[in-house]
Amino acid sequence: MSSTSSGERTQFPGLRRLKERRYLRLPTPPPPTPTASGDAGAPIRSSSLWRDAWYRYLRNRAAVIAGIAFLALLAYCVIWPIVSPYDPNQVDFSQANDSPSLAHPLGTDQFGRDLFTRTALGGRVSIGIGFAATLVILAIGVTYGAIAGFLGGFVDNALMRFLDALYGLPYLPFAIIILAIFGGGSFWTMVIALSIASWFTTARIVRGQIITLKENDYVRAAHAVGARWLRILARHLLPNTLGVLVIAVFLELPGVILGEAFLSFIGLGISPPDASWGSMAQDGYRAYRVAPHIIIVPSIAIAWLILCANFIADGLRDALDPRTRET
Amino acid sequence: MSATPLLEVRDLATHFFTREGVVRAVDGVSFSVDRGRTLGLVGESGSGKSVTALSIIGLIPQPPARIVGGEVVFDGRDLTTLSERELEDVRGKRIAMIFQDPMTSLNPTLTIGTQLLETIRRHLHLPKREARRRAIELLDEVGLPNPEARLDDYPHRLSGGMRQRVMIAMAVSCEPDLLIADEPTTALDVTVQAQVLDLLDELRTQHDMAMIVITHDMGVIAEVADEVVVMYAGQIVEQAPVTELFARPEHPYTEALLGALPQLEDDTARTGRLTAIPGRPPDLLDPPEGCRFAARCPYANEFDGCATHMPALRELRPGHMVRSEHPTTERARRKEAAPA
Amino acid sequence: MTALLEVRDLVKRFPVKRGLIVERTVDYVEAVAGVSFDIEAGKTLGLVGESGSGKSTTGFCVLQLLRPTSGSVRFDGQELTELEGEELRRVRRDAQIVFQDPYSSLDPRMTVGNIVSEPLVVHKVGSRRDRQVRVRELLDVVGFDPTYVNRYPHEFSGGQRQRIGIARALALSPRLIVCDEPVSALDVSIQAQIINLLKDLQREFNLAYLFIAHDLAVVRSVSDRIAVMHRGHIVETGPANEVYERPKEDYTKALLAAVPVPDPARMRERKSERRRLRDVVAT
Repeated sequence: MSSTSSGERTQFPGLRRLKERRYLRLPTPPPPTPTASGDAGAPIRSSSLWRDAWYRYLRNRAAVIAGIAFLALLAYCVIWPIVSPYDPNQVDFSQANDSPSLAHPLGTDQFGRDLFTRTALGGRVSIGIGFAATLVILAIGVTYGAIAGFLGGFVDNALMRFLDALYGLPYLPFAIIILAIFGGGSFWTMVIALSIASWFTTARIVRGQIITLKENDYVRAAHAVGARWLRILARHLLPNTLGVLVIAVFLELPGVILGEAFLSFIGLGISPPDASWGSMAQDGYRAYRVAPHIIIVPSIAIAWLILCANFIADGLRDALDPRTRET
Repeated sequence: MSATPLLEVRDLATHFFTREGVVRAVDGVSFSVDRGRTLGLVGESGSGKSVTALSIIGLIPQPPARIVGGEVVFDGRDLTTLSERELEDVRGKRIAMIFQDPMTSLNPTLTIGTQLLETIRRHLHLPKREARRRAIELLDEVGLPNPEARLDDYPHRLSGGMRQRVMIAMAVSCEPDLLIADEPTTALDVTVQAQVLDLLDELRTQHDMAMIVITHDMGVIAEVADEVVVMYAGQIVEQAPVTELFARPEHPYTEALLGALPQLEDDTARTGRLTAIPGRPPDLLDPPEGCRFAARCPYANEFDGCATHMPALRELRPGHMVRSEHPTTERARRKEAAPA
Repeated sequence: MTALLEVRDLVKRFPVKRGLIVERTVDYVEAVAGVSFDIEAGKTLGLVGESGSGKSTTGFCVLQLLRPTSGSVRFDGQELTELEGEELRRVRRDAQIVFQDPYSSLDPRMTVGNIVSEPLVVHKVGSRRDRQVRVRELLDVVGFDPTYVNRYPHEFSGGQRQRIGIARALALSPRLIVCDEPVSALDVSIQAQIINLLKDLQREFNLAYLFIAHDLAVVRSVSDRIAVMHRGHIVETGPANEVYERPKEDYTKALLAAVPVPDPARMRERKSERRRLRDVVAT
């Protein structure tokens, strides 16, 4: 056989075939046709874990509808501004405060700008900030939780007690402070402000998962084989946390979106002419008596996104529930 | 021998209706249990033995399962026709059941006393003080030291063996006519197992109960059973009195099963070889047309139609039933192709 | 000639912690209370005991998966308790383990091939091609069809998964395998297949086994020597046939008498023996 360059353990010892791997020799004539699972070697079920989860998800009607609605919203935000005949920043006072009509499906705002287009653009910003902040939350939370859960003992204790202290931080006022210090208005400041005090629950969840997973024999087996801790964490523990993380994404998203909307509403958010749903709501709030649709439209958009995210998270959790997974 | 059996199961069939299809977990099972006798129901996982027991007392979750055929005649009444309420009256009072895992069968948030009293008061309608006295009597009977103190303990304070004794106490509290024990000792240490089996036997004689013991352990069967039913892939493949079954097993599966057991008292065990049965039990989603053991049977062949024709359960000798075209005595007589 | 494995006075204590803010150690549980035994190359030592006897903990301590509190574990002349890092990793190639639970001992997100080749990857043995060949050989040897190398563990039965675990243990050609209740979770007919397999592999590759189990009959069929554990101590040890037929200690006798044998004729005799030894074992 071949040898490795290090020269150590170069030979694969020859493996002689075992003479009798079948422990009861079957007589001639040949046995009757075995059924599909009569063959000792074949898998007894062929399926993939993800496909089974997918089917379970599809059986949840609310989750499926939410999924479609979510994707529809995303598609709208991405595609419509490209094909829209309206310039979102074009001011035209002759059309100001128009209610929804055929020309303007969602009406116009007090500057005469088409709301259908502005909502889509605002969606890009809001959803963009939402996802970006969620990803930052995951990045921090997973790292923190994985280290605590994996190392255990004193480190875990210290990290968790620190986390307990941080839990007291009210995330919105904290975000406001950050924005006040660094000045609101830019995409990334918003992302940081929203994520910096929101990752605590994710860290907890990941830590819990890692601790549970650590007890599995396959982790001990990797240890017994000589795998280093980094490999165990990266190859064995984190991939098995994937399910929990996907759910965490859809649970964090609504909070972040709402947070962004609120911050923009109180004027700390994205600066004009760029808009997010929150800033659009702020624009529209003053004109409420005259043209209520200006504030209603972005509000509905936010609500739509949040509702969808919640139903999707529920559906994912049921689909990935290990208790219903077959043994 | 009593005239009519206490329990008579006739052609019981329980199927599970799943997304992938119909799983025929129990497919035409018949047996009877006489008063004061112990029936041993033995089989490996997937044989249908637990499903049979649960079907008898109606504890099978009705979706996705359903009893699709047969009757369960207990003391003259067909249990499969009873409503849930009527079944609840039978359960606990006339037929009691104990399960495998004493860790999960007891509610961890309630004391032993609460759980025991619940059963006693429901079926015997005794006032609280009476019921409490009876509970202490029972715990003493099952060999629990310090029974009065135990009433106020939570399950987690007791060892596995003690918990199983509590389960047994609950089961016999209402003097049932029939006790069904589903793998009662599998989760226990071997010394505790022996004690629990002894206890069950004692209680059986004292209270004149009939028992059905379900297990995969042939040793346990040899210890407690009077009559044995061997199940494979949802069917009965052999049935005989216990000494007869061990002395002269007829079905190739029973034979192979006994051959596959490591023997405690065999001094050639180290160098010898266990008779392993190749392959795996068939998928009950789509069971084979013919004999369900054929794929693994050393004697299966085309000439006898093993793959196409399901052998009937026939009485080979008085009291000894076999479902096979190649029972041991017939093979010896026919001098057919023996395994190498 | 020194034995392949020499264990002397092995002790493992687990701290019991209390405290709300800061946890303090208030007491110890001594799972293994001073255990000594030898295993010769190519032979099997059966370690039997009931739950809580400390037998699995002993197995883990031998392989340094749990570091012993004190005591010595000499493997092939090397003192394992003193090894760390790279040195210990190198020794791991020679001493492997097969676990009890075929469901939790294989990473559900890895393919069968990846699971079996992991030891080779970790120790950087061979090229990718070499590893693939080796994996197929290993699966073949344990009676698992190598064509299913890209499937996932959950697609297979308990017995098949146990074979995968055994293939993984064999990957680096170890000299010693600790078998921690390898057949307890399997059906009787499958148990027999795996027991036969383990015996064949032992003969084929001159493997030494530390066979940990609670089923006395199973242990008898694979062991040359037996050690009986009770509450962290070894109460009796000796050649298998000796211990089974002429046990010296009452605990061993009680244990043997308690096992239900599939022979109704012997039942009465055994029951009276059991009754005689009733006081030795508390509930």
